[in-house]
Amino acid sequence: MTNEMLRAPAEVKYAEELDWLESIDDGPKPFSWRLSPRMVRLFVLGSERSDGLDREISQKWFGDRSFVERSIVTLASDRGLLLIGDPGTGKSWLAELLSAAICRNSTLVVQGTAGTTEDHIKYSWNVSMVIAKGQSRESMIPSPIMTAMEQGMIGRFEELTRSTSDVQDALISILSEKYVSIPELDTDNTVFARPGFSIIATANSRDRGVNDLSSALKRRFNFVRIPVVTSKTSEAEIVRFRTTELLRRHRIELDVPPTLLDILLQSFADLRAAAASAASEDEKLESALSTAEQIGVLEDAILHSHFFGDRTLRAQTLGGALVGSLARRAPEDLAILNKYWHGVVEPRSKKDGGEWTNFLEGGRQAISTLS
Amino acid sequence: MSTFDALREQLLDAAEAFSGGRDALPGILSGMVDDVDRVLREELEIFPVCHHSPASALAMTRRLRDKRPKVVYLELCEDLRPLLDELRNCRLPVALQAFATDLDGFPPGSGPLSVVAPVTEASAEYQAIAYALETPGVELVLVDRSVDHVFQWLPREPDGPAGPEPAAPEDDTAGHGEEAALHGDAVGVEIGDLRPRFAELEAHLLHHGKVRHWSEWWDQYVEQPLTGADYGTYRQAMALVGSLFRRLRPSGDDRLARDEERERYMWTRIREHLATSGADPADCLYVCGAFHAVSRVAEFGLASEAPPYTVTPRTATRWLYGLIPSSHSAIEAQFGLAQGSVSIAAATWAKAATRGGVTPYRLQGQKGGRTRSRAAKSAPPAPPVPREPAADRLSGFLATPPALDGLDEDELRGWCVDIVRLARRNGYLASTADAIAVFETSILLAGLRGRARPTPYDFQDAAVTCIEKDVVPGRRDVRRLCEILLGGDRIGTVGYDALPPLAQDVYDRLAPLGLDLSRRTQQRVLLDLVANPELVPCSDLLWTLRYLLPDDAVRPIMGARRLGERPIQESWDLAIGRHQRSIIELGYEGVTIEQVLEQRLRRKVWDPRATAGVALAAVEDAILYLGGRRFTDELGNRAVELLAAERTVDDAPEVLRRIRRLLAHYRATEPDLPAWCEAFVTAGYAHYCTLLPTAFADDDTGVRQVGAMLGFLFTLESLALSLGCDRAQLELAVRQSHPEAPAKVALLWAAKTQLGLLPRDELRARCDELLANPLVVPAFPLYLSGFVQALEPVPALAPFVVEVLSKAFARLPDPVLLPWLPTLITTLRRHAVELVPVLVREAGRTFPGTLAELDAWTPPWERPAAPARAARSVPAQSGPVAGLLVRHPQACDAVAALLGCAAEWPADGGPQAGDPEVRGLLARHPETAGAVAALLGG
Repeated sequence: MTNEMLRAPAEVKYAEELDWLESIDDGPKPFSWRLSPRMVRLFVLGSERSDGLDREISQKWFGDRSFVERSIVTLASDRGLLLIGDPGTGKSWLAELLSAAICRNSTLVVQGTAGTTEDHIKYSWNVSMVIAKGQSRESMIPSPIMTAMEQGMIGRFEELTRSTSDVQDALISILSEKYVSIPELDTDNTVFARPGFSIIATANSRDRGVNDLSSALKRRFNFVRIPVVTSKTSEAEIVRFRTTELLRRHRIELDVPPTLLDILLQSFADLRAAAASAASEDEKLESALSTAEQIGVLEDAILHSHFFGDRTLRAQTLGGALVGSLARRAPEDLAILNKYWHGVVEPRSKKDGGEWTNFLEGGRQAISTLS
Repeated sequence: MSTFDALREQLLDAAEAFSGGRDALPGILSGMVDDVDRVLREELEIFPVCHHSPASALAMTRRLRDKRPKVVYLELCEDLRPLLDELRNCRLPVALQAFATDLDGFPPGSGPLSVVAPVTEASAEYQAIAYALETPGVELVLVDRSVDHVFQWLPREPDGPAGPEPAAPEDDTAGHGEEAALHGDAVGVEIGDLRPRFAELEAHLLHHGKVRHWSEWWDQYVEQPLTGADYGTYRQAMALVGSLFRRLRPSGDDRLARDEERERYMWTRIREHLATSGADPADCLYVCGAFHAVSRVAEFGLASEAPPYTVTPRTATRWLYGLIPSSHSAIEAQFGLAQGSVSIAAATWAKAATRGGVTPYRLQGQKGGRTRSRAAKSAPPAPPVPREPAADRLSGFLATPPALDGLDEDELRGWCVDIVRLARRNGYLASTADAIAVFETSILLAGLRGRARPTPYDFQDAAVTCIEKDVVPGRRDVRRLCEILLGGDRIGTVGYDALPPLAQDVYDRLAPLGLDLSRRTQQRVLLDLVANPELVPCSDLLWTLRYLLPDDAVRPIMGARRLGERPIQESWDLAIGRHQRSIIELGYEGVTIEQVLEQRLRRKVWDPRATAGVALAAVEDAILYLGGRRFTDELGNRAVELLAAERTVDDAPEVLRRIRRLLAHYRATEPDLPAWCEAFVTAGYAHYCTLLPTAFADDDTGVRQVGAMLGFLFTLESLALSLGCDRAQLELAVRQSHPEAPAKVALLWAAKTQLGLLPRDELRARCDELLANPLVVPAFPLYLSGFVQALEPVPALAPFVVEVLSKAFARLPDPVLLPWLPTLITTLRRHAVELVPVLVREAGRTFPGTLAELDAWTPPWERPAAPARAARSVPAQSGPVAGLLVRHPQACDAVAALLGCAAEWPADGGPQAGDPEVRGLLARHPETAGAVAALLGG
């Protein structure tokens, strides 16, 4: 089945691993969880020799262990979990892994947008069926959250702060009373959540102030803040892990030379340092320069060299991809990148030579094309 | 057969199974058992401890109570012993400090040297100290190397001060600011430093222990299992841990060499003491870190047959000793422990002592902490327990999982309720529901981490999860609140009796202010010196403290101390309690605050790098803070010496400013100038005259400096001449000066004008010439800069400076003028006090005040010169005077020639001038005039 999907959800992709973990799990499981908390942690963070398992479980999410532990524990309590952090820090991926491990279903997702309505959270009606048969449970379309309630699973709410406050507040009663009533129906008009139901929401800390959570809702969520990865080694690990996955998805066989990975990480580190010391918004790139952004740049370069190049990833292409993905605002971002290219990349290429020279060339070309 | 044979065999089997017996593993494992075995067989009972370990403290209390040793040997610098008696006057934690500024035998520039050894109540060493000091007949012997050796043995850096950097804190959150900085930059020593020396080993232990930092690992894997253990198990397990870290260490670790040196030292001291006192080793207890307990030096043990170890002599450095306040966070910062770990250890100790039914030893009169009235002595002395043969407790201990405490629900519930209350007080929207959630989450987290009972660290994580939202509403976040809740930072104070005489004196003298100086908060005090003249000494002391202490210790809000000012009211912010350490450290320098100030000022002026400016500043400070002629005279004489010896004129502006101020002060307050002032002025006059030609010619000397020299020479001229200086010297110096730089040329012209060597008209003509010459115009601004600097030494030139400036603004082309304007502005700004008032006053006088007048205004220098007044021949008075002058015209002719007038004598007596009445009077009574004429010889 995995082969027929462009992107398989975690529970499908790691089905075999999850099955195996479930088979050896003898720890206490809260509610109707498929795995015990310790196994969930093991699934997310990977196994070590000292765990004494017969097979190796790969690490899927990179970050501090305590974040994962706190998230798992929150889901076992009666509060919702709100993962908050900068874009591209792996919040949604963690949410997906957690729901896959806990209830083997990570697809009960509501995407928060400015157009999200209360119907998306609770239920809506199949209009033609209502006309034909009247309002009944049959003609009702439950939302993913309601489905999660009915089945005792984890519902996910992506980008909670993008939806308007009144929509957000629909979650309050779901999180505290744990039921949704359907006043349109005379009988069978309450959907009670089964044990195991909980919600993982994600929120972007850069969106703060757009639609702030009400304090009533805040109270019902435990916040776990996911920081931007700053350690170079773990970042390299994440980029490598995600790109391998992408390559597999695109069925591309192409090597990412470690020197190029270093160049990518180094240039992001430089740009982050520059952004941190910038005095005004205009001196900062619009991009958050997250790890996900790095993966995007690398993916761009890989696809480009696969389809338009000679199937080898070259520094030139990487330079072009970096400029292409980061230059979003016409004069400002280009000016910053231009400054970076001349002030940092050029001296470095003179000093270190090697791939930096090609990287410089590629970036320069891209900048001149764009400006 | 040894006690541990079974265990050794078991471990060797394990080594065989894991590594095939090929590498070092069997050696390490069996060696560890050997180490433990050796510790237990030693005739002198060794008590291995770890710092800030409640389990150590608990085991120590129990052991002391059981054994009641007569002599306690303690791993602590031997020369700190006298300080221990003062501990009872303090509120713990405090640190024993040794301090040295007069270095002898250490590289110069490495001082001041400072060593601190913090003492907390929750430590094994405090128990030992309290037991030994409170129990009659018990001797406490410190056996570690002296503080002098601490520095002798430190690896010397090629340059810069000796001493290791304080260890970096374990988590990235910096300490809590000033509490963490209580120890200053002292080198810390502590008893029972026990931590892996391999970074990799520590990382491995943390990773597999699933904990965040070392303190948490220690708490979970050693502390908790040992808290309830019996003495045998405790001792063996501690020795085993010490041995593990000793055996797994990086090769070439120079710390080990130092440690072994210390062990030789300690054993040598112990043997010496036993030999001299004749104490029975069975009645003694040797308290040392677990790392040292398993030492393998040849001197180890009383039965050692190693050749006697010779203790290297101390250097001649004079060490001073005292107690300074310390705090949990300072200890954490000093020894690289995780934030909050010492506080948590203190809380654990208090709990363990209560639960274990142990009455801790406590020094009588000890302030703070828990005040339990039941003194340790009140417990009936148990009969000394004979030393039992060591049995193998290790096998059981290692083979069974640690018997952890069960869930202490009451405690956890208390924490949860308290953290919510604390969070609410700090602006969080926390409620009872949160307390419940924290409780539940703590238990779940502990379960997930494989613990039966949530540790404080689990609780902290749970509280952060449940209460922390997207923003921190107040100053402190939940993590910090948890630390406060779990004990918080405790800050010690040194009691009055344990303070050095200087600090006591300060406290006594500030008593009239009626403040509680031990409080750590900032206190505002208002001194009305007119209504309460008795507060004047307090004000004096505060100003002196202000001078000597760090900036925020005493801070004047209102009031200033300057020469020639008398305070009426002052208002101060005092934070004496928070800066107790600084005051105590002042105590190492002298007996009274005045003495310290005197020493510092004296040191300042006798410094090889001191200049006359520095010495004058010291004189000023001495007048302000100390008063009295004797000392200021001494400093002043030194200033004269320094000035005469100076070869540069770099601080001439400073010297000028200060000496003017001092002269003004002395003229206003004293009948005559002090001798040194006169000497300074004459010396300065001669000195600057001598250096003037060089300064003018030297490129390195700035215009400002030369300007200041001229300022000294011109403005203090009258005083200098009255004191016997010769003006010719100055004239000669000016004539000898041949500057090349345009600015200095302008300055020289100004000087010449002042001296009358260059008439104003000629000066004006020269400037006009410069302006008219297109080749020189670009350099003209430099001349202007020189004239601006001349405003100070030659204030009479101000109209001319205004004139030249105006001309320059009018005539200079923009490309020349504009780049110079910033220079002008910055110069004026920098020397605003001296230059701006003169310039502004003169400009105000020259330029029209209103816009309307401007149209009709002509600059004074462009007005047609008033026709030279013809020398009016005033008809001379007739009479005897005129007659006299006419008869002897030479003198008048000479004066007229000097003044540039043609000497014209009326051909005849001319018409009779004067008042007819006077003439009539004179004609009537000619006797008087006749007598005067006769007297004049007419």
